[in-house]
Amino acid sequence: MDVVKGYRCTSCGGGLKFDPASQKWKCQYCLSEFSKNEIETDTPIEESLEKDISDLDSYHCTSCGAELIADNTTSATFCLYCRSHSIIKSRFSGKFKPKSLIPFKITKDQAEELYKKWISKRIFAPKDFKRKEEIEKITGIYAPFWLFNCKSEGMIRGEGTRTRSWTSGNYQYTQTKYYHVMRGGHAKYHKVPVDASKKLDDKFMHMIEPYNYNDLTDFSMKYMSGFMAEKYDVEASEAEVVMKGRVEKYMEERLRETVDGYTSFSLHDKKVSLSDIHNEYSMLPIYLLNNKYKGKDHIFIVNGQTGKVVGDTPISRSRQFAFMGIVFAIVWIISVFGGAFFV
Amino acid sequence: MFKRLNVLLIAFIFFMIIGPAYAVSGELSNVKDYLDYLTDDEESELQEAIDSVRTGYNLDVVIVITDDTEGKSSKDFADDYYDYNGYGVGSDSSGLLMLINMAEREVWISTTGKAIDIFTDSRIAEMIDDVVGPLSEGAYFEASNTFIDDIRYYVEMGVPQGQHRVEQEYQGQSSTAYYHKVTYFDKVLGLMQSFYVFLFALIISGIATILASLSSKGTVTINNHTYEAKGSFVLSSSRDDFIRETTTKTEIHKDSGDSTSSIHTGSSGTTHGGGGGKF
Repeated sequence: MDVVKGYRCTSCGGGLKFDPASQKWKCQYCLSEFSKNEIETDTPIEESLEKDISDLDSYHCTSCGAELIADNTTSATFCLYCRSHSIIKSRFSGKFKPKSLIPFKITKDQAEELYKKWISKRIFAPKDFKRKEEIEKITGIYAPFWLFNCKSEGMIRGEGTRTRSWTSGNYQYTQTKYYHVMRGGHAKYHKVPVDASKKLDDKFMHMIEPYNYNDLTDFSMKYMSGFMAEKYDVEASEAEVVMKGRVEKYMEERLRETVDGYTSFSLHDKKVSLSDIHNEYSMLPIYLLNNKYKGKDHIFIVNGQTGKVVGDTPISRSRQFAFMGIVFAIVWIISVFGGAFFV
Repeated sequence: MFKRLNVLLIAFIFFMIIGPAYAVSGELSNVKDYLDYLTDDEESELQEAIDSVRTGYNLDVVIVITDDTEGKSSKDFADDYYDYNGYGVGSDSSGLLMLINMAEREVWISTTGKAIDIFTDSRIAEMIDDVVGPLSEGAYFEASNTFIDDIRYYVEMGVPQGQHRVEQEYQGQSSTAYYHKVTYFDKVLGLMQSFYVFLFALIISGIATILASLSSKGTVTINNHTYEAKGSFVLSSSRDDFIRETTTKTEIHKDSGDSTSSIHTGSSGTTHGGGGGKF
């Protein structure tokens, strides 16, 4: 059995690629389109993924036989020589078989547009960084995520105050009433995503949330065709710690929202516990661009489903200073000429 | 373009800092004791205190002790003495003059320039109250010191909120009926030299830059409701127990007149404020 898989056009034998715009598979050469069911009629490979397929030291392109350049975590890639897409089956097998995925909705062209728009608005980015023509390198990647479901039970305790003031004669009275406030409750949380790849920056992966889970479907390797993919290298147990921290915060905030009618509230004590924790391994789409500038990596990520953009650029001090100078001048002029009407 | 702006900015900051220093007036004796009530030591001590007020707050201070007001009222004599002897700091000749008129046993404080705004009618009244005591006992040195201390105290407090000038009705006593209205241009000039406006713009621009820099990366758009299953939140217990209460009482300061500076125009055409009392 082949360890490396490539999907082929039934008319001409060319490589097939998932097209986010039509949500169909398109042949790169004869432009034929195929729906999900049309691609492969023989036994679906997904079943064979249940068993662990042992990882090999090297993989070869199914089209031209060249060795595939792949990191330990790369699970879908393309051949450097013939550009055909290859999927390394062993890295989707056994415990690495994802349960679900969200297919790409944003095309590469759209992602490039988003990048251009975004970079033009980065007022602090140095000019030569903006001018860098690296946009071609933007890559669609299925990023591994752990999605957690859980139940949460929480309690908060604190002191609330209500103040009331009135005047009588020559005196102003301020009355402060102190209350002991307690709130307890429970809630369910669905599909809290945690980045399962060490390569991808957790902070930025958190910022591209949320994904719309209505598009979540069962995993099929077919969707990988035409994109890069990574397998997880953050274990579910490590990710669970991150998820717990987040859900505990959500629960606390949720309970705090129910404390109203007070002038002030200070939290003294909180307790949040989680139960019925389930995880599911999922592939979520992103576009990634890594820009190197003066030896430092600057990352740009687009949510491959919603198009939300996050990223980081080098910051030029002189541009920051110029910005501050302009704001200063504007505020100063408005204060002087506008303020003169009121003094 | 940015570079040129930076240069302008630096030039502007430089001007702001250097500007007021030019205006400090030259050598002038600020203690004019025509009746020799003060010893030479006391005079030089007072002069020293006045010099420190002048350099520290950009306000001139003059103390005049006399029994000959050339037939003028204390008010007119005080105003004219200040104007015609060239006292004052800055373009608006800011400062205060305390006239101890022994002929009438009267004390008058005349204010000029920005001192008019700081020393409102009610503050002048307080200061007169403070000096009348020592003056009636003949403690001229002590009265003068109190006067200077009060100046420091009120300058530190700054211009009271809602301060405004009220033109005093022209009573036909001063020789020129010259009304000096504060124009929009005057106000603009005043604000241009204001350190607070400068500071305000500096703080706002600093905050704007920090916020713009931080938000350039992107922001977290999810909240505690994003992953909460719809309708799954149940508030199972909720208690609000009253523990105690406190009530505080503060006296309300009657504000009426507190923020008014009455002004009039002296024979030289300069606007003055001030007030006086008998001892």
